[in-house]
Amino acid sequence: MPANQPLWLRAVIRLERAIGEPIESAVRSETYFDVISASTRVRRKVLGTAEGVSKRCLHLLNLPAGSDIRTMRQQLARMERRLNQLSHDVAELDEDGSGPEAR
Amino acid sequence: MNPRIPSTLNPADLLTRVNRDVERSILRARNGIRYVRGTHRPALGMTPKEVVWKRDKAELWRYRGGDRRYGPPVVIVHSLVSRSYILDLRPGNSTVEYLTREGLDVYMLDWGVPDELDADNDLERYVDYYLPRAVGAARRASGHDEVTLAGYCLGGVIAALYAAGHEDANVRNLILMATPVDYSEMGAMVALLREGRLDPDELIDETGNVPADALYSGFYMLAPTVEVAQKATLLENLWNDEFVEGFQAMATWSRDHVPFPGAAFRQLVDLLVRQNILMTGSMPLGGRQIDLGTVPSNVLNAMAERDNVVPPPAVEPVMQLVGDAARREELRLPGGHVTFGTGRSAFKHTMPKLTGWIIDHSDKPKPS
Repeated sequence: MPANQPLWLRAVIRLERAIGEPIESAVRSETYFDVISASTRVRRKVLGTAEGVSKRCLHLLNLPAGSDIRTMRQQLARMERRLNQLSHDVAELDEDGSGPEAR
Repeated sequence: MNPRIPSTLNPADLLTRVNRDVERSILRARNGIRYVRGTHRPALGMTPKEVVWKRDKAELWRYRGGDRRYGPPVVIVHSLVSRSYILDLRPGNSTVEYLTREGLDVYMLDWGVPDELDADNDLERYVDYYLPRAVGAARRASGHDEVTLAGYCLGGVIAALYAAGHEDANVRNLILMATPVDYSEMGAMVALLREGRLDPDELIDETGNVPADALYSGFYMLAPTVEVAQKATLLENLWNDEFVEGFQAMATWSRDHVPFPGAAFRQLVDLLVRQNILMTGSMPLGGRQIDLGTVPSNVLNAMAERDNVVPPPAVEPVMQLVGDAARREELRLPGGHVTFGTGRSAFKHTMPKLTGWIIDHSDKPKPS
């Protein structure tokens, strides 16, 4: 800690370390990671259930759900990626040489 | 006795100190308002550069400004989880600026910000598709057959796999900066991903990638209260424009993570974290087995002694695994994970030592 720091700053830094160190050891413990894993799973399960219910309701009304749109976006992204790859492949074939080093 | 209070204080000294404190208070008020309003943000990644190659979101930048005296070119391969401007943070505080000024021909391979289009990017895509093409572009632009490849963090893993997996890679020098190979030593960074805890798909969102927020949370939880001390230090130094700019630049970067492509993340968790496969010295990729020991380059394993993101024990085994034992060197640097890009330690130790090693292993300039 630099000697020219004012007293109030030294006090804040000491206090932060006094509180921070036990918190850091807690959030690096196996128990913490087990709790976070379990809570993430529960949250995803709850969200998944809610999404399933809303999806069925929307489909009853013949409306698309968010998950339908998500699936469509993923399919479009895959298609766009494939098209990009094909255009790159064609461009590379047009250039001289055959290996990637020549491209 | 408090060293800040002199034993005798004459009126002239007192007046000088009062004046200084008043001036600093005015500057503190001005900079405080600017900070809260979010105006006057520092410009980041400002070293002049040109794009010499681009594919999808990956770009290869060539930096301008220096007299390129040494070859082969230095190609920096950045990590997949953070923004590359950490290595070019601010003018006067930039690794690429330093390397360029010393006469090296510097390139940066930036992966961009992945989105849905990149969700299927696996490690093969980086090692066998983007990197060979980017290196080829650097060779063509520089006129050299060989390259010095410098990988930072996960970029080091990609660079090492490329150097080992491509016979025509022509990597004269391979620099691995804070490159993790022993994932059993990665501690809190990967603890959530171990067997029996979260599966990769539980962290992947609807875009098919791991969201940047999830990655930020992982880094933030390494030291959740340290921000308090940082903000207090900022308050004390708020009068100092240079300090405030540096603080803002680092704060911007540390929050500015990018999504991690889902396919590469699944491989990372399965192969690197759970199987700790790099510690076997080889890794299956693209239908073949890549043996890290076959890297035919000079290898520099650089690590930061106070790195809490990639701790030294996770990096040290590079010295037993990558390349030929007679051509490996280790460089231990004081400082943390970002010492490769910024900070007092970077200027004092990292940049001069890295530059010196590269120049020692480069062609000497021809006398004019």
